[in-house]
Amino acid sequence: MVDQELLVKEVKKIVSRDDVKYVIGYKKGTFGFTTSPAFAYSSDYVDKFIFNPLCKKNLAVYPILENKLPMKRGDEEDIRKIGVVVKGCDARALIQIIQEKGLKRDDLVIIGIPCSGVIDKRKLNSKLPNTKDYSEIIEEQDEYKITINGEVHKFAKEELLAEFCTSCVAPNPLIYDVLIGKKVEPWAEQEHVDIKAIEDKKISERWDYWEKHFERCIRCYACREACPLCYCETCMADLLEPQWIRRSVNLSENAAWNIMRAYHLAGRCVGCGECESVCPVNIPLMELNKKIEKEVKEMFSYTAGMDIEEKPLFGMFKPDDPEEFVL
Amino acid sequence: MTITQIKSDMKEFEPNIVGFLCNWCSYAGADLAGTSRIQYPPNIKIIKVMCSGRVNPMFVVNALQQGADGVLIGGCHPGDCHYQHGNMLARRRIAVLKTLLEFMGIDPRRVRLTWVSASEGRKFANVITEITEDIRELGPMKKIKRVNVW
Repeated sequence: MVDQELLVKEVKKIVSRDDVKYVIGYKKGTFGFTTSPAFAYSSDYVDKFIFNPLCKKNLAVYPILENKLPMKRGDEEDIRKIGVVVKGCDARALIQIIQEKGLKRDDLVIIGIPCSGVIDKRKLNSKLPNTKDYSEIIEEQDEYKITINGEVHKFAKEELLAEFCTSCVAPNPLIYDVLIGKKVEPWAEQEHVDIKAIEDKKISERWDYWEKHFERCIRCYACREACPLCYCETCMADLLEPQWIRRSVNLSENAAWNIMRAYHLAGRCVGCGECESVCPVNIPLMELNKKIEKEVKEMFSYTAGMDIEEKPLFGMFKPDDPEEFVL
Repeated sequence: MTITQIKSDMKEFEPNIVGFLCNWCSYAGADLAGTSRIQYPPNIKIIKVMCSGRVNPMFVVNALQQGADGVLIGGCHPGDCHYQHGNMLARRRIAVLKTLLEFMGIDPRRVRLTWVSASEGRKFANVITEITEDIRELGPMKKIKRVNVW
C-alpha cells in the first residue's frame, strides 16, 4: 500500500520545479469505482492525487500525446519535462517507447510506485453492483477492505486481482527518478496459463473460438487508443490509400484488424492488459498478445520493455534465428 | 445448396497462390526455371518486390483476404541479401506471423518462406510443386476471405 501523503508531497516538489511542465497522475473518478487521469500544472492541484489498487489505467499513454505545435519565428521551444506517475507495467511501457525513440528519457520525470497488483473493475462491479461512490479502499496482506457508506466489505485478493498482474515480471518500476514507498516482492514466476486452453485445441477448432469473438468486434479502436505502444501518428487502419482494412464491420475485416493489432505489438507489448479492459465487447485480446510474447521469448529470447539500451525486436536479427520453417 | 454451388464444389479445387519474390534472387530463380523449361504448377501469381524484407505482414493478410489460398515469400539465402540483411529481418517477421496465424486457427502451411537463389531454377520448381500440393490438401481458404469484393 502506497503512502498517499508521501506521494502528494513528492509530486508537489516535482511540480514546483521550473523545468517541469506538468505531472500526470491519478485522481478519484466521478462515479463508482473509477479513477481518472489528472494533470497537475500547479502544486495546489496535486492534493487531488491518489493511488489505490483501482488505479489500473496505464498513464504511459499520455506523454506521447503531448503536442509539439509548429512555432513562430523567434519563439523558443518549450523543453520542460513531463512528470508521470507509473506502476511497474507502465514503467516498462515507457522503457519500450524510449527504446523505440518515441520519447526521450531526459524529457520525463518518472515517479515510480511499487505495485502489488491492481483490481479488475469488472470483477469488482459484479461483486458490488450499482455502487455510486466509495470512501476508502485499503490493501492489507491478502485482503482488500472497501468502505462504502461506512460499511466495510472484505474480499480476498485473488478474487479481485486483474488477470495479468499474477504473471507480472516487474512489479517494481524498472526506471524511475523518485520511488514512492518500499519495493515489493515480485510475483512467483508463472506460466501463461490463459493461452494453454487454446494451444491445446486443434487448429480447426481454434478458428471457431476466434470467429465467435471477432464477429462481435465493433471496431471502435478502443484497444488502439488505450494502448501505450500504439502511438503511430497515422495508423495503418486509418489509411485510405492504400486502404489495408475496409471500413465495413464484418468478420474478414475484423479479423484482419485484430491480426494487425496483435502483430504490431509483437515484441513490444508489455502486458498491462489495458486493451482487454477497455474492450466494450470483451474480446480476449491479451491472449493474442501473451501468445506472441511467449513465442518471441522462446524463439529470440527477447522480452519487451526491460532495458532502454536494447534494440527493438524487428529492428535487429541474429544469425542463428530459428529457420526450420523455411522451405 | 443450389445446383451451381454443388457443381462448383465438385470441380477440382485449384489453389490460388500469391508469391512475393525478391528481385535479386527468387525472381531470377523463377526466370531461370522458365528459361530452362522446367515444369511447375501454374497456380502461383508472382509479385516482384525489391527484397523479402519489403514484405509487410499486412501484404500476406491482405492477400489471404482477397482470395489467395496461400502465400509464398521468396528471398535470397542468408548472407546473400542485396541489401545486407533484409532477408534476416524477413525471417523474424514471418516466424512471428506464422505463430500468430497458427494460434488463430489459420494453418501455418499457407504462409511459406523460402530461400531461392538466382541459380536454383530446379529448387524453385520443387518449392512451387510442394506448396501447391500442400494447399491442394488444405482446401480453399475461406476463413478471412473478404465477403463483398466490388
